[in-house]
Amino acid sequence: MSKALEVKNLNFSYDNTSEGPQTLKNISFSVEEGEYVALVGHNGSGKSTLAKLLAYLLEPTSGEVYLNGELESEKNIKKIRETIGVVFQNPDNQFIGSTVEGDIAFGLENRAIPREKMIELVHKYSHLVGMDKYLNKSPEELSGGQKQRVAIAGILALNLKIIIFDEATSMLDPEGVEDIMSLIHEMKKEDPSLTFISITHDIEEAYLADRVIILNNGEIIDEGKPEDVFLDEEKITRIGLDIPFVLKVKNALKEKGIEIDKSIKTLEELSSYLCVK
Amino acid sequence: MSNVFGKYTPYNTIIHRLDPRIKFFALIALMVMCFLPYGNYANRFIVLGVLALIIIGIMVLAKINPLNIFSSLKSLWVMMIFLLIIFVFVQQGVDVESLHPMIIFPNGYTIYWEGLFQTLHVFLRLILMICLTLVLTSTTTPMDITYALDWYLYPLKLIKFPTQIVTMIISLALRFIPTLLDESQRIMKAQKSRGVDYNRGFLSKKIKSITTLIIPLLVSCFSRSVELSLAMDARGYDPYGTRTSYKILKFEVRDLISLIITLLIMALFITMCAYSSFYPGADNFLKLLFGVDAF
Repeated sequence: MSKALEVKNLNFSYDNTSEGPQTLKNISFSVEEGEYVALVGHNGSGKSTLAKLLAYLLEPTSGEVYLNGELESEKNIKKIRETIGVVFQNPDNQFIGSTVEGDIAFGLENRAIPREKMIELVHKYSHLVGMDKYLNKSPEELSGGQKQRVAIAGILALNLKIIIFDEATSMLDPEGVEDIMSLIHEMKKEDPSLTFISITHDIEEAYLADRVIILNNGEIIDEGKPEDVFLDEEKITRIGLDIPFVLKVKNALKEKGIEIDKSIKTLEELSSYLCVK
Repeated sequence: MSNVFGKYTPYNTIIHRLDPRIKFFALIALMVMCFLPYGNYANRFIVLGVLALIIIGIMVLAKINPLNIFSSLKSLWVMMIFLLIIFVFVQQGVDVESLHPMIIFPNGYTIYWEGLFQTLHVFLRLILMICLTLVLTSTTTPMDITYALDWYLYPLKLIKFPTQIVTMIISLALRFIPTLLDESQRIMKAQKSRGVDYNRGFLSKKIKSITTLIIPLLVSCFSRSVELSLAMDARGYDPYGTRTSYKILKFEVRDLISLIITLLIMALFITMCAYSSFYPGADNFLKLLFGVDAF
């Protein structure tokens, strides 16, 4: 597999003078094509900044980001935009159109997609995120979660290779999050080369990723498979995060002397496993 | 923030369905009709009365209650009183002989009827203009207004003026009006709960308390605009790039009919205007219509 994104010695500071606080310090990691990576960290750990840097919405102070082996710069900005899409957290500030359909179409309009195709895509993706009944609604008439669904549809409709969710499901109820995540999984199944990066502090969601990267104060402190990364409960809680509920249960059972297989990840699997036992 | 005055209300009336370009044109046309000179005051009031009837008719068609304007715009009354004071106490024109005295004070100071008429006239024009704008904004989505504007700005495209940027700016501004109104309400509530009183106190105190609203609002505006520009960038917005349009404007039979009606109305009023200015002897519509004399 090839590397979709590769970050090398990335530093970033919002303050242009070098004395300012470093938001990101010497970050290096890579994301394989088709991978589902979760970036976790508590507030102010630099997660959102990293997302913007990956999509070249911000320019790194030093260091490089490679997209499919190509250095991201002002020169290939068009290609970057056609490959990476970011859904941000605040849905109000990314609602550009005056109606749901207008907003989903915004990115398509920018790509000069013919109108007939655009209508088809708008209907398809608004249906996928469950907003097809609200096509004519204006943002004031929608709830925060509904606006987030629209923002997600707006990015998904662009048929990108790399999708970054910057806490894009923070206003959805648990059911809504599940809907969106299963939609992503379905899209990944359809197109295995789709790379998905989720920035979140929802540990349960991160637990389902292929790989987890933990950021703390602008540095990567751990990275690896979720079941390995979250193993060290003490370390995780020290940086202000929590470990997934399933792991907690497993750890508690372990203390009682009940070992549970490592492959069990979801609550359903765990409960059926325990019931069978 | 559901009933902001002049905010788009999604009904499905004929006025709502009209092509925004036609609505835009009719708005401008009728506004100009309000401001044409029609000779003396009797004429002007007749013309404005006819216009008012037309506009009220349009408002009823668009399901807007014409009386709403009085309850919604309280500042109108302040303006009316202000105008009245100015027009009554300031001498009208130089030709005093032609004016009609209403009250003559013992010291020779005179208040003329024309002052009162002038106030009414300006006030009526103002209300009609507000009503017209109201019809446009409450029956047309901001996006449609922008599309119409974009269409009318077409000639500027020929001289390489980036009209699409202008219309994008306008549409974003329109899009964020309700959001910012909501935000200001939220900030006001937050400040009230921290003890700021927006309603009582002298003017100086009120102004001071308003700063507690304006500064956070301004700050949030800036942070919003930064996030918005990032979101637009992330979705590949290029101000100079070629874009396609999701929405297209369709010119239908009803649009043609309303265009013709608008043009007929225009023709009628322009004729009246021309008639009153070129035939001074017959410039009195009252006499023409009812055989009554007015001053």
